[in-house]
Amino acid sequence: MRPLWWTQILAVIRLEMKKTFFARRGLWIYLLALAPVALFLAHSLVEIHLRGVRHEMATQSRPITEQDLAAIHEGMTREEVIARLGDPPASRITMRRMPTGPHGFELIPGEVLRYSDGSTELTVVLEKGAVVGTGTTSGSSLGQDTHIFAGVFQFFFIRLAIFFGCLGIFMNLFRGEMLDKSLHFYLLTPVRREILLAGKYLAGLLAATVIFTVSTALQLTAMLLQFDTATISHYLYQEHGISQIVAYLGVTVLACIGYGSIFLAAGLLFRNPIFPAVLVLIWEAANPLLPSLLKKFSVIYYLKSLCPVEIPVDPGMPPLLALLVSNAEPVSAYIAVFGLIALSVAVLAASMTRVRQLEINYTAD
Amino acid sequence: MAVYKRTYRGYSGAITPSWSRFLVLFRFSRETLFRSKVQTAFFVLCFFFPLLCLLGIYANAHLSVFSFLGRRSEPLLNINGQFFFTYLTVQSTLSFILAAFIGPGLVSPDLANGALTLYLCRPLSRTEYVLGKMSVLVIVLSWITWVPGLLLFAVQASLSGWQWLADNLWIATGIVWGSFIWILILSLLSLALSAWVKWRIAAGGLLLATFWVGAGFAQAINAVLRTKQGYLLDVGNLVAAIWHGLFRDGVNMGFSVTEAWIALLAFCGFCLLLLMRKVKANEVIR
Amino acid sequence: MSNTIVFDNVSKFYGDVLGVNRVNLSIPPGITSLVGPNGSGKTTLMNLMTGLIRPSRGQIRILDMTPDQPEQLFRTVGYCSQFDSFPKGLTGYQFIYSYLLLFGYDPPLANELAWQAIDRVGLREAAHRKCGSYSKGMRQRIRLAQSLAHNPRVLILDEPLNGLDPLVRAETIALFRSFAKQGCHVLLSSHVLHEVDIISDQVILLSGGYVVAEGNIQGVRSEIEDHPMQILIRCDRPSVLASRLFGEDNVVEVRIHDDRRGLLVKTSNPNRFYLLMNRIALDGISIESVAPIDDDVNSVYGYLIGTEEAVR
Ligand SMILES: Nc1ncnc2c1ncn2[C@@H]1O[C@H](COP(=O)(O)OP(=O)(O)O)[C@@H](O)[C@H]1O
Ligand SMILES: [Mg+2]
Repeated sequence: MRPLWWTQILAVIRLEMKKTFFARRGLWIYLLALAPVALFLAHSLVEIHLRGVRHEMATQSRPITEQDLAAIHEGMTREEVIARLGDPPASRITMRRMPTGPHGFELIPGEVLRYSDGSTELTVVLEKGAVVGTGTTSGSSLGQDTHIFAGVFQFFFIRLAIFFGCLGIFMNLFRGEMLDKSLHFYLLTPVRREILLAGKYLAGLLAATVIFTVSTALQLTAMLLQFDTATISHYLYQEHGISQIVAYLGVTVLACIGYGSIFLAAGLLFRNPIFPAVLVLIWEAANPLLPSLLKKFSVIYYLKSLCPVEIPVDPGMPPLLALLVSNAEPVSAYIAVFGLIALSVAVLAASMTRVRQLEINYTAD
Repeated sequence: MAVYKRTYRGYSGAITPSWSRFLVLFRFSRETLFRSKVQTAFFVLCFFFPLLCLLGIYANAHLSVFSFLGRRSEPLLNINGQFFFTYLTVQSTLSFILAAFIGPGLVSPDLANGALTLYLCRPLSRTEYVLGKMSVLVIVLSWITWVPGLLLFAVQASLSGWQWLADNLWIATGIVWGSFIWILILSLLSLALSAWVKWRIAAGGLLLATFWVGAGFAQAINAVLRTKQGYLLDVGNLVAAIWHGLFRDGVNMGFSVTEAWIALLAFCGFCLLLLMRKVKANEVIR
Repeated sequence: MSNTIVFDNVSKFYGDVLGVNRVNLSIPPGITSLVGPNGSGKTTLMNLMTGLIRPSRGQIRILDMTPDQPEQLFRTVGYCSQFDSFPKGLTGYQFIYSYLLLFGYDPPLANELAWQAIDRVGLREAAHRKCGSYSKGMRQRIRLAQSLAHNPRVLILDEPLNGLDPLVRAETIALFRSFAKQGCHVLLSSHVLHEVDIISDQVILLSGGYVVAEGNIQGVRSEIEDHPMQILIRCDRPSVLASRLFGEDNVVEVRIHDDRRGLLVKTSNPNRFYLLMNRIALDGISIESVAPIDDDVNSVYGYLIGTEEAVR
């Protein structure tokens, strides 16, 4: 026999599910979650296509090595280049605008000759018939991509996508029902308000975690899509790939737990969600600048410590932004997980005292 | 004969000419606009920076006054395109926040209370309704963007003489055009959001999110696809690119002004489509 | 265990606005009607009883439970509120069924109870349509069904007869009666007394947040009729009019106004008095105006009793 409170929580989740998963009002959350997936997918498809093109080019003409390219230097004419490297399998005409004064500019014609050794593309850049430079592009490596994934995950996915997604889902739990004037139906059933709150939180959490962990998993899949099985298994088994993936999924879940509890509380406390949203966003963004005691009261502090890949600090980065990236005093994983859950529980406990005082007042809004 | 036919007489007095009828909506909104104290305070605050600029221009022109203090007489500020670009950047940020306050309250209450149908029952077309609602934002935001901007320009011109004016007339065009582009985008976007999101406050939040998440996603695109075209999704950046072109400060954003224009036009067209679809649904067929 | 609903010196203020003030009531089983004009505090009282709002002062006990123990209270209480709204996207049946699950009933039982309730209000055909598409009367009935689906012993209904057609209204009233006969509390509110007076065992009259009369319906009626109404008549010859009025049996007291240009009359039956004034006016005394003085209380009574002048 299930205890009554559990039956009631399940009933609340059952009622809320429709609103959290299938509401037209919440459609944009799916958009937010799927946008990065589309991005990584696009990147993989482009890379796969380019790899095909490079391979194709190498079969059309003599494969050119990097030593061949090294023999080309600035100032050589097109003919000299072709004499050394042969006819390029592909080339591209370019036109560059060069400003000559405050108003005028000059058009400089140019050409890019493209060669390939099968996996790397070698280019010779000509302007006005003379070589101005050479270059190689070999597509993105898994190492690069995992770093970029780390950046997008921290800066776009956690801070913006999950943040606003949780804002939408969790603020709606109470505020949305007050707007629809249907909250009183819950309050007129023999359900303790604490249980109602827990049920609603779990329903929101279910929706948020499903939507965003699926998104994370899809993003990782889309990112890995362009690489062959050997590279992927090397990454997974030799370069801690599996633990990274688990960490990303875990961070996603924890982000939903943390932001969810905060926005659930905000939905109970504030009539206007913009103020808390802006406040929390600024608070989270300013986290590295806070004294170490206050730092512990923010979600991103723990999440950042748990992110598996450190984001390299670009030397050209403005100092404030660099501060955002660096994690001066990373905490251990156990403390981070425990701290985040403790923070969420504390926020939820505060909401519970608030929900006991809750009065129905639909008119004021 | 029906009673009402004997006693009812339609209004036959003077009416607002149809070309300016949309301004009726502005007059309606004007009354409620400054009822909120926070909003009014913020509006007043928006004039602080232009005032500061004015002081700067003035001090700059009268630098000779200070020269006896032993300072070198090189100009304190360079009053050029870049100066006005900075001015416009600050004011546009402020107008963005103001639009997030005002904009969502324009259409959503009409939809929520069914007033839109009432409006459109009057001799007021869909276009006039949209124009009227937009005029509220355009007029209010004008007051904090190009109007003080032109004033600053005029002050600088009067202090520096005709030659400066003739050489720098393009700055004035830049101020007006730059402001109008920004205002138009803000009003279109906030009207479109306010027409689709019934809850006034959520519409305001969505306006903020559109810009923030748009900017974030643009960065993500740039990082993942190793390009700079991602900025085409970042409306703030697009407008900045056009401004750089208008103020001729030679900053390259990584894509051309033409591309920025095309992207912006597409964006505006999309907003207009959203807005009109919602308004059309409420139109009374006559 | 007590079998009454008790209000002990209950007040509720919405900020500066008075909801109800100093309410002392003890409500026995049977049908009780809360009657008062709009804004008199009927909804406030009912929301207080069910814990949707909490009193600024005083205490409420419902059969020995307090409103902030929902887990016990709503096993015995069902409340059909005035808010004409529904959770989004649910059909009539889903609406009742899903909320029954919150009581902890297992699905078959909840299903059975839901259909029972739907049959009681006669909405079986429409049960699988979205609540949002219902007509006003149907919405009223489905909410009624939702509030009584768990067979509560105390049924609180805010303006339950609003928007019902006469046939359904008769059925609904019969439903209330059957509840009352089983020894349940049925508390309903209305803004017209004659709509509910025949079915009510007792009536509570509210006005401006105060309980102005309470008791069985005969008691309330006679209390209203006993309360004489003061009327000021402005005329050119007050003394002549006064002598004329002394003979009438519904006139309790006549006094010449201090400024000697009018009369103050107390009457026990304002309707008959107004008819009388019409006749007198025809007799050649020129009367400028006839106006009740203590307007508030009397007009409320007039409104509630449903005299010809005051209805709607
Ligand atoms: N949420 C509220 N905020 C402020 N005043 C309220 C609120 N609800 C009711 N009131 C006021 O309390 C008084 C009683 O209202 P109510 O109980 O709804 O009356 P009734 O149901 O008899 O029409 C009215 O004056 C009303 O304006
Ligand atoms: Mg009411």
